[in-house]
Amino acid sequence: MDCRDCLERLYAFLDQELGPVDFEDVKAHLKDCGDCGESFRFEARFLRIVRDCGTSDVAPAELRERIIRRLREESPRTL
Amino acid sequence: MGRDAFEVDALSHIDALYRTALRMTRSEADAHDLVQETYVRALRFRDQFTPGTNLKAWLFRILTNTFINEYRKRSRAPETTELDDVDEFSLYRRMSRDRPASSTDPEQEFLDGIVSTEVKDALAALPEKFRATVLLDVEGFSYKEIAEMLEIPIGTVMSRLHRGRKFLQQRLIELARERGIAALRAAPRAD
Repeated sequence: MDCRDCLERLYAFLDQELGPVDFEDVKAHLKDCGDCGESFRFEARFLRIVRDCGTSDVAPAELRERIIRRLREESPRTL
Repeated sequence: MGRDAFEVDALSHIDALYRTALRMTRSEADAHDLVQETYVRALRFRDQFTPGTNLKAWLFRILTNTFINEYRKRSRAPETTELDDVDEFSLYRRMSRDRPASSTDPEQEFLDGIVSTEVKDALAALPEKFRATVLLDVEGFSYKEIAEMLEIPIGTVMSRLHRGRKFLQQRLIELARERGIAALRAAPRAD
């Protein structure tokens, strides 16, 4: 596997979406190639930052309450 | 599944649905309406959900369908233009190429300086063509799950993710430049 093949598989590798054969090939290339290794480390850290920041918001309490009220109207408790 | 158990399980995903809706609609009021509509539909059609399968994915499928069918056409915010040559080079390689001789590690400096609010704004600013794909990825769905939710091939998920991530990088590096991260400034001219 050359650098081009490796970089083409960068995101699929980081997203854990590569098949086992490709996964091992990329891992072997990264062991020997400092440039690709740096690219992968940069992208991995970038994706982690995006995920951490992108999933930090929580729903406002009033939205939760409004939805619970709406669901009760939609389907009143039948005892 | 009974109504109460379903309601408790479904409401455990409200934070993820809310922040995704907020970035899809780019409007707090529309996001509230979209999430509420998602829950109303989920309750109405809960018999179609197979217990033991992924409830979060099922709810997100309702959210994205509702958005596509009812909200997208009345989106208020202007559409972001896709940047050119977004695919050609990774930001990392471009930064390395542009690196001033004095700079030791502009990539790390860039990553260390990323601000959470800027990431959130950049996610909301993604061109609509790949915004939903990136938002679903941020919430941890697999390529296959995203493909099923958006009814697109897995290859399209991959290319949209690629372009979306490059867009985010470009946007964030512009903001970093504006904040004046030294290593990201163009090297001073020799004359």
